[in-house]
Amino acid sequence: MDMSVTINHYVVLSSILFGLGIIGFVTRRNAIILFMSVELMLNSVNLMLVAFSRYRADMAGQAMVLFIYAVAAAEVAVGLAILISLFKHVRTVDINSFSLLSDN
Amino acid sequence: MYSDYAFSLEQLWKIAGGQLVLLLAALLIICADLFLMQKSDDTKKASVIGWLTVAVIMAALLHVINREWQLTEVVFMGVFSMEKYSAFIVITILMAGILATLFGIGYIRNNKVCRSEYFILLLFALYGAIAMVQSVDLLMMFIALEIMSVAVYVLAAFLKKDRRSQEAAIKYFLLGCFGSAFFLFGTALLYGLTGTVNLSFIAKVLSVGMFERPEVLVALAMIMAGLFFKMAIVPFHMWTPDVYEGSPAVVTGFMATVIKAGAFGAFLKIITVTFSPALAYSGQPVFHSVLNLASLGVYWKAVIAASALLTMFIGNLVAVSQKNVKRMLAYSSIAHAGYMLLGILAANDEGRMGVLYYLFSYTLMNLGAFGVLYLIDGTERNAQTLEDYQGLGYKYPVHSFLMALFLISMAGLPPTAGFISKFYVFLSVIKEGYFVLAALGILTSAIGSYYYLRVIYMLYMKEPVREIECGRMTLSSAVALIFAAIGVLYLGILPEWLAQVAQAAQSTLAFVF
Repeated sequence: MDMSVTINHYVVLSSILFGLGIIGFVTRRNAIILFMSVELMLNSVNLMLVAFSRYRADMAGQAMVLFIYAVAAAEVAVGLAILISLFKHVRTVDINSFSLLSDN
Repeated sequence: MYSDYAFSLEQLWKIAGGQLVLLLAALLIICADLFLMQKSDDTKKASVIGWLTVAVIMAALLHVINREWQLTEVVFMGVFSMEKYSAFIVITILMAGILATLFGIGYIRNNKVCRSEYFILLLFALYGAIAMVQSVDLLMMFIALEIMSVAVYVLAAFLKKDRRSQEAAIKYFLLGCFGSAFFLFGTALLYGLTGTVNLSFIAKVLSVGMFERPEVLVALAMIMAGLFFKMAIVPFHMWTPDVYEGSPAVVTGFMATVIKAGAFGAFLKIITVTFSPALAYSGQPVFHSVLNLASLGVYWKAVIAASALLTMFIGNLVAVSQKNVKRMLAYSSIAHAGYMLLGILAANDEGRMGVLYYLFSYTLMNLGAFGVLYLIDGTERNAQTLEDYQGLGYKYPVHSFLMALFLISMAGLPPTAGFISKFYVFLSVIKEGYFVLAALGILTSAIGSYYYLRVIYMLYMKEPVREIECGRMTLSSAVALIFAAIGVLYLGILPEWLAQVAQAAQSTLAFVF
């Protein structure tokens, strides 16, 4: 039986990681963990891009990964700043307590 | 084919001059801000920077109208294209930018927040929105989407001392990142399947027999989900009411128009260029022989029809029960996205024209409404509930008249732009045979007029409950409001001109390919 790693393995692995990111985002209540879940989703895409890039022998995919890193870094910088500034008001990072704005 | 687009500064200026102006000006204004605002908490200097921003956006707008609109064919520069379709949405976005800046000058004075970052972030967000609409490359589209979003996350958190503003920002940030991750996943899948992220190359590869593979549908679904987050389409709308209510009123108006225009522009481009049957009969001979993506329509049209219906119903029905006018307008903007989606669903010339017309008039009336809302509010969250609006009609006739005008337009009553826009999109879906959908849409529009007219009823037919001190009408706000009001009335009474322009704009979309 051929046990070599094919492109399908990479796609399945990154889809699983992406799915874990979604599950984490939906089920966890800690804002920092939600950040991490989103980062996991972005990195699963990076993994897939690198795999596709290798598979197609096209460097464009790997260049895209660099752009995505930059975007993810910018997102985190802004997101953590917003979280800190909110933390000064509410003294918690539990998203259930961010309930000043809601339908009621 | 990329090598055809060798880099030339002249070419770049020709097709992306508007973007360049905004980007360079934003960087310069950061430096100007450093020197001007050193130790002052003086609103005068903030408003100097505000007027500077207005001048910059005006320069970009003039460039787009004079140079880019006049282009007779689609011009490419690697990842960007410029044709009348992009130019139309760019003009809409820049107009929204000018109005939001003018309101911002007044808002900063009324709320005593002496921060000129508002204008700089606004320029970056405008830049992102424009780049997003102009790009013909999914990666560039993603980066532009993020440039726009990151700037707007910060704008949402603009009132540092206000917990609601921070809460809105964090909610927007988390769900915004979540949404763009979906867009990125779809992009990566398409890259793997086709070996390119260029919209038209993807279409070429897909058309050679692989367009109905499930992976393509997954990628399309992911890209749609990502953009639906930004467009606030049900079921991806959960963040909208909270974020719109919590953000400063001027920022909400900006978000509700610029981000929607950017996302709708990009979505219509993706659907038409990459996944649409429309190309098959666009008139360019190559399409007949090479492309037949018509069967894909079966999949995405069903999804769009369902989301449009849900969006119109949920947006309008939930808005009825809202006590806070700002939150009510948030739900109303969800409903408007549903109507615009109808035009994309129709996927014919009338539909695309209707979407463009709708975007333009929606920009005017929605920004106008938020502009009055912040004036009535005075300082943020001073007077936002329906009760506060009671009896304002006699004390503040100008504020109330303008509010009533914009709300009538949003309700879609003649003789305003809102009526004509709804007319065009409904006409386009009826032409494609979606009779039930059109009928239900008109029903939701009737529900909608209830809550819009209720505000007008409160303004004019009720006795005031408490003393409300409205904010001062500054020169900048007055200019912006007069422009928006005249625009809303003009487009409602004499729609032909803009309809022709929109028609010319949408017809160039087929040639982006």
